[in-house]
Amino acid sequence: MTEGSILESLGSEIVGIVTPVSICMLLVVLLVQSLTPHGSDAPVASIAMLVYDEQPTDSFTEKLGGAMLNALVFVIIVALVTFLLVVLFYFRCTKFLRAYMGFSAFMVLAYMGGGVVVLLIQNFSIPIDAITFLVMLYNFATVGVLAVFFSKMPIFVTQGYLVIIGVLVAFWFTMLPEWTTWVLLMAMALYDVVAVLLPGGPLNMLVELAIARDEDIPALIYEARPSARNIAPMPNSPHSVSINSSATDLAGQATQIPPRWRRRVVTAPPPSNASIQLPANAVNESAINQETVRPVGISALRTESQPQPPGQAQALVPPHSTVVMDGVEGNSRAGGRSEIVNIEALLDDVAGNGESGVLSGAIKLGLGDFIFYSVLVGRAAMYDMMTVYACYLAIVAGLGSTLVLLTVWRRALPALPISITLGVIFYLLTRFLVDPFIVNLSTHYVYF
Amino acid sequence: MADHQVEDGWHGSSVTESHESGIPGEGGGGGLQWVTVDGPLGVQQEEALKLARNFFYGGFCLLPWLWFVNCFYFWPVLRQRESDPLIRPYVLWSGVGCVTMTVVLLAWSLTFAIGGEDVFGSSWKHLAVYDLADKYSMAWS
Repeated sequence: MTEGSILESLGSEIVGIVTPVSICMLLVVLLVQSLTPHGSDAPVASIAMLVYDEQPTDSFTEKLGGAMLNALVFVIIVALVTFLLVVLFYFRCTKFLRAYMGFSAFMVLAYMGGGVVVLLIQNFSIPIDAITFLVMLYNFATVGVLAVFFSKMPIFVTQGYLVIIGVLVAFWFTMLPEWTTWVLLMAMALYDVVAVLLPGGPLNMLVELAIARDEDIPALIYEARPSARNIAPMPNSPHSVSINSSATDLAGQATQIPPRWRRRVVTAPPPSNASIQLPANAVNESAINQETVRPVGISALRTESQPQPPGQAQALVPPHSTVVMDGVEGNSRAGGRSEIVNIEALLDDVAGNGESGVLSGAIKLGLGDFIFYSVLVGRAAMYDMMTVYACYLAIVAGLGSTLVLLTVWRRALPALPISITLGVIFYLLTRFLVDPFIVNLSTHYVYF
Repeated sequence: MADHQVEDGWHGSSVTESHESGIPGEGGGGGLQWVTVDGPLGVQQEEALKLARNFFYGGFCLLPWLWFVNCFYFWPVLRQRESDPLIRPYVLWSGVGCVTMTVVLLAWSLTFAIGGEDVFGSSWKHLAVYDLADKYSMAWS
């Protein structure tokens, strides 16, 4: 019965998370197609290019070797920054993390957002003047920082800004050279698995710390709305996936727990163009009891079970799944060697304080996963739309299966590996097998 | 046993104790059950008042978008005349401010875009974004 009730609402919850991912990918594809349809001419210097600067004229082995070195360096730097994050979280430097994250978010939105908009203006020759442009950019960036980190805002606005941050960072990443991008994606998928699942992995440690302290992880995390079933104002915990009406009857005097969306505002340190920054941390503001800010940054899929409200031993509360995605974003300016690693993590608060489980009860996906999915699809768009469709389907399939695994395993899971692997395989197959096949068929009129 | 103070004001100033249909949205019944556009997921009462006030004052830093978000956030309050008397003035004046600033900005921007060089002369080139971008070789590619 529990299984059935999970599956019932799983569909709407999956839709709630696949929609923003799809929107993010669509926007990145549109940007890539209009601005850099064949890849960037002058790839921006970044940490991902410390070791090897890819040239189109290099040989196959040179490119492959160089790309792998680049990816290795990048992953090592990400790991180091994550460990730094764990240390800072351990020593509760929350104010610093929070300020840093706010600054990073502002830089992403203002600088990278401004850069993209300027590119668009140049591309489409929009006759806008500098004053209007600056005012609008300033508005956009300020409200974005408030929405993501510092203040409660309409859910739609916060979600929208998270998606936009994902789009901007992903677009920046697509400007890396081709081989480096692909190898980097694979490397990040591997790192994700290691970091989240291995006991010594930084993300794992972060999750453990957060659980032990019952704190939240500060990170850029996208949280879907709780599905409608979870919002019914029952005297019981309104976040039950399965509406056990019998449970509500039994609940009786249980206090009503209002449904929450993002009960703790999680923020993650967005990239900044200073030198290597901390990974994104979510800053959580405990809505009800404490005012502590809890930084944690982890991406993983995580399921939490809702603690039984007191006096309702009979109620079978199905576990909620929270998806935490591991994300890393790097950001660098041309000529600057700065990268910010955003490790997004989402650790849903397990309200283990004896109260009725007040969980946000929705699926959460770290922003890094948004970013890397979009990078993959953006790269595919630089070849042809056929690869885009194939990669999109692969990624959504991977995401769906990861979500299903989440309900089975009920722990933090990395969201990158399955999707990225499928995406890369599909990209290679489509590009080297399907594409010549289709093109030749069309040109030779075998099918009408 | 949950110490959720918010629950005390959960039903707000609603006259009728009508329950939500379970879908986030606006309140039903005579009074206002949910003051924010997020419905049961949004903030209530004291927190809502604090937010409305902060957004209102924040918008004076040349942030009409913040005022717009304020109006959007408290749309149910704006729609009904007799809703929350504490929050409504902030939201109302945010709306007025937003519209005013937008009109001013739009007027300037349209004059610039449509008037072009005829109106501005040579200084048009000094203000247009794509000219400035070319001049400073901005952007990345």
